[in-house]
Amino acid sequence: MNPTTRRRLTAALPLAWASLAGAGLAGSLIVNPPDLDPAPRADPQESRRWVSNPVPRPAPLAPPVLTPDRAAAFSESLEARAGLRAYEGAPPVIPHAIKDLDLRTCRTCHATGLRTGDQLAHAVSHTHLANCTQCHVEAANHQFAPVHDPANSFAGIRPQAAGGFRALSGSPPNIPHTTFMRTNCASCHGPHGYPGLQPDHLDRLNCVQCHALNAEFDQLSPAFNASARENPTGEQRR
Amino acid sequence: MTTVDRREFIKSAAMSAAVAAAAGSTRAFALPVLTAPGVQWNKAPCRFCGTGCHVLVGVEDGRVVGIQGDLKADVNKGLLCVKGYHVGQILYGKDRLTTPLLRKDGRLVPISWEEAIDTVARRVLKDPKGFAMYGSGQWTIPEGCAGNKFMKGGLSSNHLDGNPRLCMSSAVTGFLSTYGVDEPAGVYDDLDQCDVAIMWGNNMAEMHPVVFSRIVDRRSRGEKVTIIDFGTRRTRTTDHADEFLLFKPNSDLAIANGIAHLLVQNNAYDKDFVARHCNFRQLDPEKPDAMQGKPMTFDEYAAALAEYTPERVEQISGVPADKIRLLAALFARRDIRITSLWCMGMNQHTRGTAINCLVHGIHLLSGHFGKPGDAPTSLTGQPSACGTVREVGTLCHLLPGGRLVANEDHRKHAEGFWNLPEGRINPKPGYHTVLLFEKFCTPTDKGGDIHTLWVQVTNPGQSLPNLHKLFKAKKGLEDKFLIVSDVYPTATTELADLVLPSALWVEKNGMYGNSERRTQQWFKMVDPPGQARDDCWQTIAVARRLFDLGFEGMKNKDAEFLFTFKDKGGKPVPVWDWNHYYDINVDEAFFEEYRPFSKLKQKDLAPYAEYARTRGLRWPVVQQPDGSWRETRWRFSEFDDPYVKKGAGTQFYNSVTKDDKALVWFRPWEPPPEGPDADYPYWLCTGRVLEHWHTGSMTRRVPQLHRAMPAAYVEISSTDAARLGVRSGERVALVSRRGRLELPCWIGGRGDCPEGTVFVPFFDESLLINELTLDAHDPFSKQPDYKKCAVRVERVVTTGAAR
Repeated sequence: MNPTTRRRLTAALPLAWASLAGAGLAGSLIVNPPDLDPAPRADPQESRRWVSNPVPRPAPLAPPVLTPDRAAAFSESLEARAGLRAYEGAPPVIPHAIKDLDLRTCRTCHATGLRTGDQLAHAVSHTHLANCTQCHVEAANHQFAPVHDPANSFAGIRPQAAGGFRALSGSPPNIPHTTFMRTNCASCHGPHGYPGLQPDHLDRLNCVQCHALNAEFDQLSPAFNASARENPTGEQRR
Repeated sequence: MTTVDRREFIKSAAMSAAVAAAAGSTRAFALPVLTAPGVQWNKAPCRFCGTGCHVLVGVEDGRVVGIQGDLKADVNKGLLCVKGYHVGQILYGKDRLTTPLLRKDGRLVPISWEEAIDTVARRVLKDPKGFAMYGSGQWTIPEGCAGNKFMKGGLSSNHLDGNPRLCMSSAVTGFLSTYGVDEPAGVYDDLDQCDVAIMWGNNMAEMHPVVFSRIVDRRSRGEKVTIIDFGTRRTRTTDHADEFLLFKPNSDLAIANGIAHLLVQNNAYDKDFVARHCNFRQLDPEKPDAMQGKPMTFDEYAAALAEYTPERVEQISGVPADKIRLLAALFARRDIRITSLWCMGMNQHTRGTAINCLVHGIHLLSGHFGKPGDAPTSLTGQPSACGTVREVGTLCHLLPGGRLVANEDHRKHAEGFWNLPEGRINPKPGYHTVLLFEKFCTPTDKGGDIHTLWVQVTNPGQSLPNLHKLFKAKKGLEDKFLIVSDVYPTATTELADLVLPSALWVEKNGMYGNSERRTQQWFKMVDPPGQARDDCWQTIAVARRLFDLGFEGMKNKDAEFLFTFKDKGGKPVPVWDWNHYYDINVDEAFFEEYRPFSKLKQKDLAPYAEYARTRGLRWPVVQQPDGSWRETRWRFSEFDDPYVKKGAGTQFYNSVTKDDKALVWFRPWEPPPEGPDADYPYWLCTGRVLEHWHTGSMTRRVPQLHRAMPAAYVEISSTDAARLGVRSGERVALVSRRGRLELPCWIGGRGDCPEGTVFVPFFDESLLINELTLDAHDPFSKQPDYKKCAVRVERVVTTGAAR
């Protein structure tokens, strides 16, 4: 598989939703022009019905297990992580119901991170931002069922396992994601982080001393503007 | 790989990944890295609201693959809202319109672009006076320039109006009445520096979340900022507020007058500022329709306010008298900075001009004006309501740069800049939105003198009020012809006779102007799908077809084509031919033609290249001795605005009274045109939700946004729900004098209505709440009131299956 197509891997999770939401709910309210691939219409009564907790949500993340199979945990965590995002860099959706008002409740679990039963809440890595639901929305509305899952062919940037991104064998790897709004590496890489993503040197606190920012992707990298091929000359595309 | 192949491939690859995951991963350890070497990042303003965030758009293999908040952008400093993060997906909904469609025997069938353009031109020739255009604050600035010149300069017709009439026009009349010139004096920087932020019926946490975060995130840095939320229902904004003042719908004018009254009565107004910079004004009872009104003295002003005692205001508004005193006490302080923010709550109001004037008046009276953090600031709902509509002047009474069609000098300016023969521009204002659609939906023999309407970049079939009267009545009128340029099928295309597929956002070059006078630019990054083409090209192509058919109006003074653009060698480029449209930068050509218009009212714009280089610049942008271009943040303030005279401090140089002073208006509170009564006992308020923008035609194609907010609902108080015997999720019917709609109810949901009020979001095209809303409008701005009408709520008895 070449890097481009691997990166384009659409997350398995949204597809699973699409098929679950399919059949009876697959109709569209969108008006289709005649003769142009008309989608089946759902019974409006049926499609507008209200159900509690209508759509399967992503499974809660399991607490980290100190497993000898770190590689497997690592891969699964990446799958889970990607499944909550439209593309690498998008804010993750919320895999549980929320209170629509009184949003300070987010912090009850996400301020410091929390493990309860089989559920894991990461610590928020940008505590200076106060309006959580500005960026994070429910993966599925807890009150209303979607009438259709919009067909959309967007295929975003995906993280990929490509055998390492190191200058030399044994060099510390670059950070494979953007670092803006990620002020606390331990959110994901600490004790309440993703299984398999903890380093073996949690005692070291200055992460970016060794792990460089990715200039291809990260605006905070001093090299980003040089490599990101913005359009400084103001030439229009034909 | 072709697009289709790739999609198939993605699907199968994802399925095998899912299977592998289910079977338990046995893959070898591999370090994930995000190498994105093929991804090109380029800047663009977000497609959605008037905030004007910049995003970085990641493009690979001709497709948008990622979005980042742009760290270089002053507006959002790297942050976006959930819509902005998912804006890339709006290009890729499955049902994009990709070919022109003409209604034949009741069905829309594909036709060629040649036939489509010719069809539009023939409709013009039928009777140019009855051909109208309906544009949008989602038009780019060059698209607005094209539409304006085509209609006013080409057809000599002012029947060009746009969606901002429904959105911003009361803010415009408020600014004009007060300062003599449109658009806010303040900027978003005020939000970083104010001590108090007042939300006048403004749910900023959901509607303008990025600038709202600029306020609330200051608290994380240890700063103190007091947020006061005036509202008719609790919202997410209330969650962050220090004070929530629940008021009865339509009573905001009484509250504003109550604050002004206390400032005057307690001698707590800013005497120096008022003496130097303010005149007082009221409507002329003999000419109540005249927006300029008549002067009044300060004593007359004080006397007019006298009845608005805190107790009287409490009686009208329901806000406790002590809270009115608290507000007045805040405005009385000179040691704090106060910013007022508003959007649709004050604008979509039958007294929209009046309440806008009153809020400006409080700030002027108390001197909370013109210092960083002290500002009355209106926010816009559409990305270029300011840039394209208010500045380019794409409304039925305007010409570019703050000019009026009714003003002879202004017409001459425009004829000069557009190189038109004298007298080409019609002095009579055209039909404003409500009237335009009324005329379009009325049979010709009954006075409906608009026979053809061309809608670009907006969705009036969902966003107009009282839809049965103003839109659906078109159905079956054989001699009426609706042309719609859009990217997806919408409630508007449903009645269209001709559908033109358009390029969307970064599929074309563009420029927007946001709420804080910031003009922004982006370049085309990907190709539009199928045969979709730029709206600007569509306008030019129709104009050219008319020119070729010998239509005189499409010639300029030198008998050249109206839209003649030349390349660097001075050779005309046939931009009406799609194959040559991008031979030159048409956006730049339109913008440079438009720039000279901006000087009259000190709205100076920089050359196009400056906007290509920056994340937008706020006008007036004035060239410095070293050749650089400097933007202006605080207008009318000497320390920042180069047009203010030395030593003046503050100077309202566009003053209505020509004495550099602003007008403080008295406007009485009056009862609304329709309120709850025995038959229709509830207030209905409509609005938006965080996840969806405007009529949802883009955001409902984005899976993450649609799943989070899939359908409209009616928000109702638990008391009313108990009385009706309904629980969350059960269906109720809302009935107004104009329509009936069944919806599920939601109690204690996204917002919380008080007893006697219900709220319905308008994004859902399958549940058109605007079939119920009122088309009564403000007499000056002609903006309808979507926030207040009377409805009845009925429990719907359903079979078990429906639940």
